[in-house]
Amino acid sequence: MAGPNLTEQRPHDEAEELLPWYANGQLDAADRARVEAQLSSCAHCRQQLAMERRLIEEFQAIAPEVESGWARLRARVEAPRRIRVDKSPAPRPFAELRALLSRPAVATLATAQVAFVVLAGGALLSLSKPVYHTLGSAPAPASANLIVMFRSDATEEDVRDVLRASDASIVGGPTAANAYLLHVAPTERQSALVKLQSDGNVQLAQPIDGVAP
Amino acid sequence: MLKRPRADTARSPAPDDRELLARIASGDLQAFERLYRLYQPRLTRFLTTLLKRPQLIEEVLDDTMMVVWQTSGNFRGSSKPSTWIFAIAYRKAYKAKARWPDPVEDPEFDTRISRDPGPDEELHHQRQRTALMKAMDQLSPDHRAVVDLTYFHGMGYREIADIVDCPVDTVKTRMFHARRRLKQAMSGSLVDWL
Repeated sequence: MAGPNLTEQRPHDEAEELLPWYANGQLDAADRARVEAQLSSCAHCRQQLAMERRLIEEFQAIAPEVESGWARLRARVEAPRRIRVDKSPAPRPFAELRALLSRPAVATLATAQVAFVVLAGGALLSLSKPVYHTLGSAPAPASANLIVMFRSDATEEDVRDVLRASDASIVGGPTAANAYLLHVAPTERQSALVKLQSDGNVQLAQPIDGVAP
Repeated sequence: MLKRPRADTARSPAPDDRELLARIASGDLQAFERLYRLYQPRLTRFLTTLLKRPQLIEEVLDDTMMVVWQTSGNFRGSSKPSTWIFAIAYRKAYKAKARWPDPVEDPEFDTRISRDPGPDEELHHQRQRTALMKAMDQLSPDHRAVVDLTYFHGMGYREIADIVDCPVDTVKTRMFHARRRLKQAMSGSLVDWL
């Protein structure tokens, strides 16, 4: 039902309708001019605008969690790849390792992704841990307690030297981000970490906490 | 301009969404991860607004991103990447809703809001937020979608119309109606904000 002054009511209604998008900065110039003309002459609209801004603030205050969701989806994306790798008849770990290390993507990882590697390593570890525990006949099942990324130009020999120098062995990986999960004796972890982090062939080395054997 | 959710703040020069989609089309998992990290918080939030079953939110989020992963080569660039992705999420949410209608009572509702006692001011603010969420809960999913896309995602009415696939006037009308309902439901506490 129209109010008493039709000529004033219509621009008022149109402007009021646009207020949420004026407040979030998404109006084009024509719409914005229409709203601003109305705001300059209407206290009610100014009050409504204050409310819109408060609503935006409230709606923005809650940030959803990201990590668990990504781990879940990544497992789903990678599932078909893992099956393919498992079916290959005669795996040659070091040839594969070298091929993986030669990928230029390793060198260009963003810091944010490096942080992810640590988390992804943890996720992968938790997936693979039961497998290690079932290898009853194998010598001393080893859980990963370090995660490492080698430089893209590191050779197989470099990698071997790095691992020997820090008494580390590869127990998992490559992850999607081309990181490897390592095991070192828990008592030697700190010194191994220092060695790894100071090695020119290592791009990143981090401890993985709470998963030592 | 609204600030975007925190997850957007990548520390290295960020490739834009179009570039990421192009890389995803060639099977680049790192690009997909990056896009996921950009969109997961926003999509989770959007789907939380539309769907009341937490398990369904995760499922629809993953299904949405799997469609992105599998069909990003179909993105032709006639709309913004965000419009394309949110429209996929909106359609997926509606399909999921058809299979799993909302529970009559929402058992999760109270747990979504912290009940930790805090300083008076914080408690007061918490009550206002509770009132706002309850008011949102009473709106239809169509209205909630428009409200959330505007206030949280900072989108314009034309982009929202593309996402929910309806005329722009319908978006404006839904928003107008939703705001009135929010105001009515919160009446007292809203006055305190101003």
